[in-house]
Amino acid sequence: MGLKGHAAIVGTAQYKPEKYATAPKMFHLEQVADLAAQALRDAGLKASDLDGLVINGPHFHEASVFVPAMAAEYLGLRLNFAEVVDLGGCTSVGMVWRAAAAIELGLCQAVLCVIPARMAPFGPDEDPGWMARSMRYGGHSTAFGAPEAEFDLPYGHMGQNTGYAMIAQRYAAQYDYDQRAMAKIAVDQRTNALANPQAMFYGQPLTIEQVLASKMVADPLHVLEIVMPVAGGAALIITSKEVAARCRKRPAFITGFGEHLAFKSPSYAQDMINTPIGPASQRAFAMAGIKPADVDAAQIYDCYTITTLLTLEDAGFCAKGEGMAFVREHDLTWRGDFPMNTHGGQLSFGQSASAGGMSQVIEAVTQIAGTAGERQLGRCDNVYVSGTGGVMSEQGALILQGA
Amino acid sequence: MSNNKPMPVATQISAPFWEGLKARRLLIQQCNACEHWNFYPRRHCTACLEHDLAWREVDGTATLYSYTVTRIATLPDFMDEMPQKLAVVELAQGVRINTNLVGLAEDEIRIGMPLQPVFAEVDTKGNRLLRFTGVDKDAASLEPLPAQESEPAPVASEQPAARQIDLNDGPALQSLVSEQFSDWSNVVVVDQALIDAFAQLSGDDYWIHTDPERARLHSPFGGTIAHGALVQVLQSRMKMKLDFEITGFSTQINYGSDRLRFPAPVPAGSRIHARARVKKVEISARGTQLTLELNTHVVGQDRPSVINDLVILYLA
Repeated sequence: MGLKGHAAIVGTAQYKPEKYATAPKMFHLEQVADLAAQALRDAGLKASDLDGLVINGPHFHEASVFVPAMAAEYLGLRLNFAEVVDLGGCTSVGMVWRAAAAIELGLCQAVLCVIPARMAPFGPDEDPGWMARSMRYGGHSTAFGAPEAEFDLPYGHMGQNTGYAMIAQRYAAQYDYDQRAMAKIAVDQRTNALANPQAMFYGQPLTIEQVLASKMVADPLHVLEIVMPVAGGAALIITSKEVAARCRKRPAFITGFGEHLAFKSPSYAQDMINTPIGPASQRAFAMAGIKPADVDAAQIYDCYTITTLLTLEDAGFCAKGEGMAFVREHDLTWRGDFPMNTHGGQLSFGQSASAGGMSQVIEAVTQIAGTAGERQLGRCDNVYVSGTGGVMSEQGALILQGA
Repeated sequence: MSNNKPMPVATQISAPFWEGLKARRLLIQQCNACEHWNFYPRRHCTACLEHDLAWREVDGTATLYSYTVTRIATLPDFMDEMPQKLAVVELAQGVRINTNLVGLAEDEIRIGMPLQPVFAEVDTKGNRLLRFTGVDKDAASLEPLPAQESEPAPVASEQPAARQIDLNDGPALQSLVSEQFSDWSNVVVVDQALIDAFAQLSGDDYWIHTDPERARLHSPFGGTIAHGALVQVLQSRMKMKLDFEITGFSTQINYGSDRLRFPAPVPAGSRIHARARVKKVEISARGTQLTLELNTHVVGQDRPSVINDLVILYLA
């Protein structure tokens, strides 16, 4: 059961995170074509090698339906496999295993996974209020009949901050909650970003005191424990073992994955602090035949510090309730004994909408390829990657391995 | 209360729940096939998928599952509830509900504490939301809509004596310049009636100010907002707590504004207040110009809704 490990990520492309106000505006189709060309060059493959596409459906600017066909036509691709993924921040992880499965099934030989996340130019007749309206409720549906429109919004429950805050509060009521350890997650990741010139917060050191002195958004989360939304976009090329052999870099083989989701609001979770990444990670490790202790680096989805903390526990890097001690006792930097989010994590790299999660996949691939520059790990064969969408609602895990 | 808050729109499926709240009764669904309790309302049971649910009245006994206190409003329209106490409660039947805590101070809130329902009025049409409070509180007293009235401006004679500064005392005038703002003024409520009156007076009846229904559907703010100019002139209704009084002049003239900005909207129903500081003092042959930076904010909001660098010209 599961993947045989015959598919690998062989090429990546990623826009440097930028503030929305100053980032170039490009049509999403144009970004897809640009990122595809960059990722193919990185892999050492040609456009004619591509015959699969996995793309984001939601938030695609030029179309809300028929996105893969429109993109195939625009790029000039002939596809044997096309897929849309709608898993929020877990989209990238979800794309990787779907592409790997398609390749192992023999449906196609090379797949482009892509998420454009720069803004598109405004049309002359475009309603400038559209963007503000769509941001107002932060991913909460306002459609008639949407349970969250009816039972969350009237009470002020919306967006992500307060949901994650309530998860952290529940955790604090049950286990040890050490706000300095929580801040250390952000600080260690910032140390990693200081070795990554592509990161949004490159060149800006951070201390635990600064995190704790930053504005409280919703108890107990400070603003520096929350990702900054940025413009960006990213792409991956996934191909078969045979094609990977003629690519430019050491491939990152996809040997395990898991996915789990059961709710949109964590209020309806069976247990709010036993997160879906638990079952997803167990399946991924079992499929790859390795244990958490075998991992050389963990690239853990970090929309909030609490997401990272709970993933460390639920994925099995430490026992339940011991996350704070784990963070206190380990150096999470690229120089440390538990290298985590070695690119800075999204907290310090920046979160380019659902492409943000691809930064974690790309860092894993880069470390396995040995091309991470200053922050390159001495040995990197086994990497754990997680993805999280919504308010810990949809989560997925990947195991990537160097051959 | 802000009239721009999102309100529940009942469906055929959920109507009995909302009708129940109007009658101060809590109705939730139980499955006739497997006895599983369900929330929010559906046509099927989430445990067995049978379409055989019965509405049952429960007493609302609950415990606090988790909560957060917000320090930044989740939407500007909730500014009047700051800090918001967002909560997940678990009813005795085992279902969880996203809601608010009311009538509880921050230090009275504990995860696991027992709670009782509050059938909280949210408009004058009888609609209610299901909120919760501590079991030792008087839930009925927390039901009515909170009054939203403007505070009267303080009476001059009740104000602390202000430091008197003569117009000819240049150094004393210059010493008034400060980065520090005064304390907040009295609070003024900007309701739809006031906005409508201003629209009529000024002739600016653009729908974003005057048509709540259209604004709810099409405005980026989810409802009507006050005219910037209205919020600006309301500074006259707000008494800033300045600790000085200038004397020795014959006339003072509002000479206009060096800078006038409307950085944040004021949704209809907002409570606003203002504060001031002396930004600049210029003495010339023509007279003495004092620039006051007057900033109006929606109560609880960091970002000002009006920044007005008002220039007052004093003639000796």
